[in-house]
Amino acid sequence: MSSIAARSQPRIRFNRRLVGDILAHTYIWIWLGLFALPFVATSIHSLELPDGGYGFAAYTDAFGSFKSNLITSFEVTGLTIAINLVIAIPAAYAFVRHTIPGKGFLLSILNLSLYTPAAVMGLSLLITYAFLFHIPKSTTGLVAAYVVGSYPLMLVPMIVALRDLPLVYEEAARTLGANRLQCLLRIELPLLGPGISAGILLTFVIIFNEFLVTLFIAGPSNTTAALRVYNLTRTGFLPSTAALAAIMQLVSFLVVLFFFKFFGSRYLKGTYLI
Amino acid sequence: MSTAAAELVAVSDAPTRGVGWRARLIGPGLVLPAVIATIGFSLIPLGYLVIISLTHKSDYFFGHHDYSLKNYDLVFHRYRLNVVTTLRLGLLSSIITLIFGYPFAYILIRKVRYRELVRTLMVFPLFGPLYLAFGLYYVLLPKGPLAGVLEFLHIKGTDLLYSEPMTLFGMALFTFPFMVMNVGAALSNVDPMLEEAAQTLGAKGWQVFIRVLFPLSKSGILAGFLMCFGWNIGVFVVPILLGSLPQQRVLSLVLQQKAMSSQLDYGLASAMGIVLMAIAFLVTWLSLKFSRGALGA
Repeated sequence: MSSIAARSQPRIRFNRRLVGDILAHTYIWIWLGLFALPFVATSIHSLELPDGGYGFAAYTDAFGSFKSNLITSFEVTGLTIAINLVIAIPAAYAFVRHTIPGKGFLLSILNLSLYTPAAVMGLSLLITYAFLFHIPKSTTGLVAAYVVGSYPLMLVPMIVALRDLPLVYEEAARTLGANRLQCLLRIELPLLGPGISAGILLTFVIIFNEFLVTLFIAGPSNTTAALRVYNLTRTGFLPSTAALAAIMQLVSFLVVLFFFKFFGSRYLKGTYLI
Repeated sequence: MSTAAAELVAVSDAPTRGVGWRARLIGPGLVLPAVIATIGFSLIPLGYLVIISLTHKSDYFFGHHDYSLKNYDLVFHRYRLNVVTTLRLGLLSSIITLIFGYPFAYILIRKVRYRELVRTLMVFPLFGPLYLAFGLYYVLLPKGPLAGVLEFLHIKGTDLLYSEPMTLFGMALFTFPFMVMNVGAALSNVDPMLEEAAQTLGAKGWQVFIRVLFPLSKSGILAGFLMCFGWNIGVFVVPILLGSLPQQRVLSLVLQQKAMSSQLDYGLASAMGIVLMAIAFLVTWLSLKFSRGALGA
């Protein structure tokens, strides 16, 4: 008995490297916990019942009274993604495969709205929509604002993907008799799939959860779910508000998981967002 | 801004299809929708904002077109405290993000094998400061889910609520992923052999950091810091939910109140917006200048 204890003693000795590793991983896990903490707390709050128990009553409420907001959110986000695709695919193609005068400068200008603080963008659009374009509180204005604020997010991953794509495939197809349209539809777009999906993911995550520009330019008829969460936090912290916030985060998170599962995170690199 | 953009398109200058004017028009033609969208809904509104910022309250819309720099005078004098608060909160929260984010990025690059999991959980802050602030608010309430832990640590959650440290923490949590990505990109280009060589030659841990790691990751630190700062000067919802009056002086919040409350002081709000935008553009330009080579790599 005593000999075993004596033999194992050196192993228990203070090992600096091991302790360092344990501390390092603990540090990572503490932060991982902090990242998820707000979502977890929101979810717990959303499950609370007025009588102190737990249940899904808040979700029934949320789907009942916030249904129109959720529908608006999905509609404007979907519309924005569709318009972004129409704008960004030709633009990315032009940037990589064609000559444009002042390319670098032009790309900077197109990216300008990404770097404008949301409140400033909201204010400028509020004034412009009200007094210059005469489309205040309209869904058209809302979608236009989203498109301008987010299509650069789609452009960058697409440029990355297209730049990585060798010209060989396209040339081979052309040599074998495909015309330009066939070449685009059957060779390039499928190969660009991951880059395009990355753009869709970024647009979805950003626009679905955008509330600040929306606060300036949306009206009562097109209040998105994210703006509704903001409005509700000003009046109190009800479980139904938490339920709506939890739904929004869960949907966003599932979309991200889905993307990572199929494409990995390589194409998101140039955007620095994920 | 232009250097990073140039880098992104640098490789692509080589292949040009055909010659003649028709081939040359294809490129600009394909970018045209993007250019129109940006001019119509970004450049024109911002230009309009500049004009309004030179006028008094909302007189411009009632036919009075007299211009002056009075609003800017107000921003830099009567509202100087608001500008200072915006800069202070942005600076402090970025420093906090750097102090906690650097070790995180280092451990992530050197020791962690479950990087996909980290990347997946790190998307939560990116859904926006609104949900973060809302969740943290609830955590600090007396009946919150971490009440036991806070009590064990002798922290009174309600003391933290509506305080500057909590506001800064909320802002730092939101920008944490940006810092980790920037610093991580720089650190992953540093060969671990260099650290080992320094240690073999007798350098202590802190010496390795100051003489080897820090100089080699300087560009990433600067780019990350400026990017976080650029996000944080536009902060809006975190001070509302987690801060109190001293933190709620930030420019975004005040300009929203000036423009949307009954005051309708569009002139002053616009001037505040222009000042905020100028700071943000300067910061972004610097950050892209320093993140050269990391973009799209």
